[in-house]
Amino acid sequence: MAITVLLVDDERTFVETLSKRLALRRLQVLTAFSAAEALRVLAERAVDVVVLDVRMPDMDGIATTRAIRETYPLVEVILLTGHASLEASLEGMSLGAFDYLLKPVAIDELMFKIEDAHQKKTLQEDKIRRLAEQAGTTGPGPE
Amino acid sequence: MLGERVLGWWRRRRRTPAAGEPGTLFAARYHSLRLLLAANNRALELMAELERAAGGGGEPFGMAFVRSHCTALSVAVYQMVRHLDELAPGRYRDLFAHLRDMQEHIRAALELPGPDTAGQRLTLPLDEIDGRAAAAVGTKMANLGEARNALGLETPPGFAITARAFQLLLEHNQLSADLASLIQSSEQERPDELFALSSRLQQLIISADVPPAVADEVARRQAELAPSPGSVAPRLAVRSSALGEDSVHASFAGQYRSELNVRPEHLLTAYLEVAASTYTPQAMHYRLQRGLRDEDTLMAVGCLAMVDARCGGVAYTSNPADPSDRRVFVNAVWGLPRAVVDGSAPSDLFVLGRDDGHAVLDRRVVGKPTALACDPGEGVVRRPVPDELAEASSLDDHSAHRVAAMALTLEAHFGCPQDVEWAFTDDGRLLLLQCRPLRQGAAAEEIPESVAPGTALLRGEVCASPGAAAGPVHLLRRDSDALAFPEGGVLVLEHPLPRWAALLGRTAAVIAGEGAIAGHLATVAREFGVPALFGVKGLDRLRQGMEVTVDADGRAVYEGRIPGLVAAASPRSPHLMGTPVHTALTTALTHISPLRLLDPDGPDFKPRHCRTLHDVTRFCHEQAVREMFSFARRHPFPRHASKQLYHEVPMQWWVLDLDDGFAHEVPGPYVRLDDITSRPMLALWEGMTAIPWEGPPAMTGRGFASVLFEATANPALATPFRSPYAQRNYFMISSSFMNLQSRFGFHFSTVEALVGERDPENYLSFSFKGGAADLERRRARVGLLADVLEGQGFSVKVIEDAATARISAMSAEAMESRLRVVGYLVMHTRQLDMVMADPAAVRRYRDKLLADIRRVA
Repeated sequence: MAITVLLVDDERTFVETLSKRLALRRLQVLTAFSAAEALRVLAERAVDVVVLDVRMPDMDGIATTRAIRETYPLVEVILLTGHASLEASLEGMSLGAFDYLLKPVAIDELMFKIEDAHQKKTLQEDKIRRLAEQAGTTGPGPE
Repeated sequence: MLGERVLGWWRRRRRTPAAGEPGTLFAARYHSLRLLLAANNRALELMAELERAAGGGGEPFGMAFVRSHCTALSVAVYQMVRHLDELAPGRYRDLFAHLRDMQEHIRAALELPGPDTAGQRLTLPLDEIDGRAAAAVGTKMANLGEARNALGLETPPGFAITARAFQLLLEHNQLSADLASLIQSSEQERPDELFALSSRLQQLIISADVPPAVADEVARRQAELAPSPGSVAPRLAVRSSALGEDSVHASFAGQYRSELNVRPEHLLTAYLEVAASTYTPQAMHYRLQRGLRDEDTLMAVGCLAMVDARCGGVAYTSNPADPSDRRVFVNAVWGLPRAVVDGSAPSDLFVLGRDDGHAVLDRRVVGKPTALACDPGEGVVRRPVPDELAEASSLDDHSAHRVAAMALTLEAHFGCPQDVEWAFTDDGRLLLLQCRPLRQGAAAEEIPESVAPGTALLRGEVCASPGAAAGPVHLLRRDSDALAFPEGGVLVLEHPLPRWAALLGRTAAVIAGEGAIAGHLATVAREFGVPALFGVKGLDRLRQGMEVTVDADGRAVYEGRIPGLVAAASPRSPHLMGTPVHTALTTALTHISPLRLLDPDGPDFKPRHCRTLHDVTRFCHEQAVREMFSFARRHPFPRHASKQLYHEVPMQWWVLDLDDGFAHEVPGPYVRLDDITSRPMLALWEGMTAIPWEGPPAMTGRGFASVLFEATANPALATPFRSPYAQRNYFMISSSFMNLQSRFGFHFSTVEALVGERDPENYLSFSFKGGAADLERRRARVGLLADVLEGQGFSVKVIEDAATARISAMSAEAMESRLRVVGYLVMHTRQLDMVMADPAAVRRYRDKLLADIRRVA
């Protein structure tokens, strides 16, 4: 089953090139060129991992990370940016971003991160599902 | 949607066991551990790169390198803390706060504010500028203002647009973050990338809006230059005058842009073009080489009324190639002096004495068929010179005297030899256009006969990098020797490997047994101006710490310091030590690399004692492994209970499966090698059992089988490890991971490895300590092991009788080969310290070790 990745960056050529390269690695790739567009895509499609730029004109990546993690807590966010800032990286990580990668990034490295983030999401989903099932069988039951 | 239905079906099919069941729990925990280990590996590599950079060798680096490495490192360490928190929820949560403090310190070191321009005016008329205005108008304009106002020399009228205005320009257009981001995202060291990057950065500035406040001020100053109120403002020369440019410490000669003969209505465009030249490729390269920060380079700009010169040129108050030659050198051409400055056309040369008469001592008049002049449209144009002038001298003796006198006045005032740009107008006025300290290179001097000593201690074959230098010998036999390398030492090594370039910033000279002039180390030595002599036989005659003089040009090494030789050598080219970038890095490193948490069983091994990022990585790694172990011990699920290894007989080794280290469910108390899928464990085991133990006889006298069988702690012996697993030899495994804590008698070792399909994440770390002999012999044993491991490509750190060897980012096959070597060493060096006192025996064992390793690897 292909991992579904959403690439968000206002640099169109960057998104388009990366999208092609990730598709070659059998990922299902969605793209968005602004934070608002990214949130629209997330509302419509099941996404596993979002790869997000930290600096965008409409909403910065940190605020976008917060919005994504609040609404879709299981979706993993990888920040990928040219912005080497200790402050932004810490903020992003403490909001629950899976990683903060600096451009230029090797495509292999990005693939590994996407796979790891996806595996984390899968493990998390399994855990939640089984906890729910357990609660259903051994819990107090419906009120 | 079909896709969704398939997805749902697939997810239902791929059901995993309940959260309360060991499968999910172990899989999730193991995933956290694996991510922690990968982050640890990355953090250690980033730290090593930062330390190498700070060591002063290798490629020059800028703030983009320092920031990106520190950011990536900080993220990796944060991930370790997070994953440890997943393994032991809440138990080490303090670490987040400690980490935040450290990161705050690092951030402060990296974000030292640039020059303070608050309170500066946006423009300053030249009449109000003197030397004290350098922080606002740049050194070039400050010197010119000083010459005009303090010395009364004539210059064109004009004004400066200050550093403050440049900062406003960046702020108004929110350029700083975009510029930094572009620089960060490209690989500046590749020339093609540098040029593309430079063009994008300059484009950003050229297309920016000049802030209205700046534009208004500039228009007002421009109007003041008009000959009468309301008349047309003059054409201008618009010149770069960056902060720090033309100072004694950095010339930036020819790196920025100047625009000549700019029409008044185009001034702001020219201003943006000159401002953009902050990012010419040569300026960026120069800052990188000199360790200067972009944020300290604020571009002030000088705007001077254009002088349509009859003739002009450049005067030097000393010989640039020979500081001892104090005559005055005047170059001159017809028309604008730019032709001399950029060396694009032949010029007349006058050499004058510095005494009162400034006698013309030498005169060389050349043909000057063309000259630069102001174009009636805009800019400058190359024009043919009428024949009768082309062959004539562009300067008469009297005018040459005037130029020399002006240059010497400037030298006297500024206190150092000067490089002066001047012009004569048609009506015979001499104008000063620019002055700056003269850049002088050292001349290669002949070595006096009496200095060249008779008997060389050693002779070499290859002068890999010219020059001569003296210093104490430092023998480099393994990586750990590099740690103690003294500033100004003479580096002595057999093989001039490229990685030793990391020491060249601190090195007086290099002596190597082998090597060629084309080697990487030789190249870097030349770049750094470090003399290097290769192909030197008889290195064993050099003793640690003895003072020697290396004469690379003469291909000889002499005992002692020979001042004549050393003095005759050319001085070192500058390197990064002490530059702003280097200082930022070393300050940040004080919160990054020192490791204080050394003893995992000591009372200080606690989050609150973590002072550096290195401490945090050490703590997280150790604690994560322990948490995995104790979790498995606390949850005796049949599948994950520790099993005793059964190989013909039950062995004294236990195996704990963290995730998928067994091929299938293993019932009962024993596990066989056939059941094990752990790639690293199988490779290590192969090495452990490849070659039987041949002696010296095991202490018990029972031979190899008994050693393997015994392989345990004697509980009666005091153990330095209070670890929960100290009493047994445990393998913790998954299909791609192994961690072995083992103990043979007095010998303790830890082997940890990740071997999978992702080469960059693979690593093998091997720590060993202890022994039954006295400290001296234990140290010698560790030294021998370190040697052997370094031969296999490990980097090894030795402290007392303990060592840690690490190798990473290799293919799975290469990692397995190293694991076999380590497996062999774990088994076969345990009693080496018994023989370490006997050099002949040591040699014998060393030879046997090396021969065995060739078979095993």
